[in-house]
Amino acid sequence: MTASSRSLTLDLHDIRVAGGVMLGAAAVRAAWPGHAPGLPCPLRTLTGVPCPLCGMTTSVTATVRGHLGSAVAANPAGLLFVAASVALLVSPRLKAVDVPRWLPYVALTLMWMWELLRFGIL
Amino acid sequence: MSDAYGVPPQAPPAEQRTGPRATFGQRLVAAIIDGVIVGVVNVILFGALKTAGSGLGSLLGLAYAIYFEGSPSGQTIGKRAMSIRIVDADNGGPIGYGRAFVRYIGKIISAIPCALGYLWMLWDPNKQTWHDKMATSVVVPTSAYPVAAWPG
Repeated sequence: MTASSRSLTLDLHDIRVAGGVMLGAAAVRAAWPGHAPGLPCPLRTLTGVPCPLCGMTTSVTATVRGHLGSAVAANPAGLLFVAASVALLVSPRLKAVDVPRWLPYVALTLMWMWELLRFGIL
Repeated sequence: MSDAYGVPPQAPPAEQRTGPRATFGQRLVAAIIDGVIVGVVNVILFGALKTAGSGLGSLLGLAYAIYFEGSPSGQTIGKRAMSIRIVDADNGGPIGYGRAFVRYIGKIISAIPCALGYLWMLWDPNKQTWHDKMATSVVVPTSAYPVAAWPG
């Protein structure tokens, strides 16, 4: 097995755009007077089971507001995503990065475990 | 050149990208354009026909996706505006109307866990969403995969 088959090349341009959209939406929500608009997770609405991304809207918005405790409680990945998005936006020359192939799956699994514990399912 | 020595060229592993792919931004803007087009028609139908209009609007959204994505160009109006198209992941040809239907159902599944199936393209080696995987499709730039006629 070669090193390339064990690693995954992430297109940082795509992730930068996605991160920028996420930060923009969070900034609008953070500045929204009163209760900010948002959609409930369809999976949790339908089944009661949260998905790995559950709490991310709350977490990212709380991070942008500086409420880090609330952000971690909702989903710790929100803090990391905001930090990574800001880092990518201030580093436009970064085009791609190689990461271990398992990284996205492990990250999603950890996020899901947190949410399943948070909602008392585990 | 390896061919000169009779060594067959090695096909890239399936998990590696085999050509240029549409970017996240292109796909997002195309989806917004298509969403606005279908959304406006839905609002008009609901305003005119209430519940019947809502059902008709859902069918229209389905027909819009199947007709344009299954066409030889593989381009909705939004994808045409963004110069991208859907092709067969294996041979670069059209996916046809049957797989366009599978892809539409796949979009619903992709959306259910907070759109995780859509975001999947951000780390997928072939930039495939879940609905791309279900329909064995990839979204590519027309600069690399030109369109002969639209919708074809």
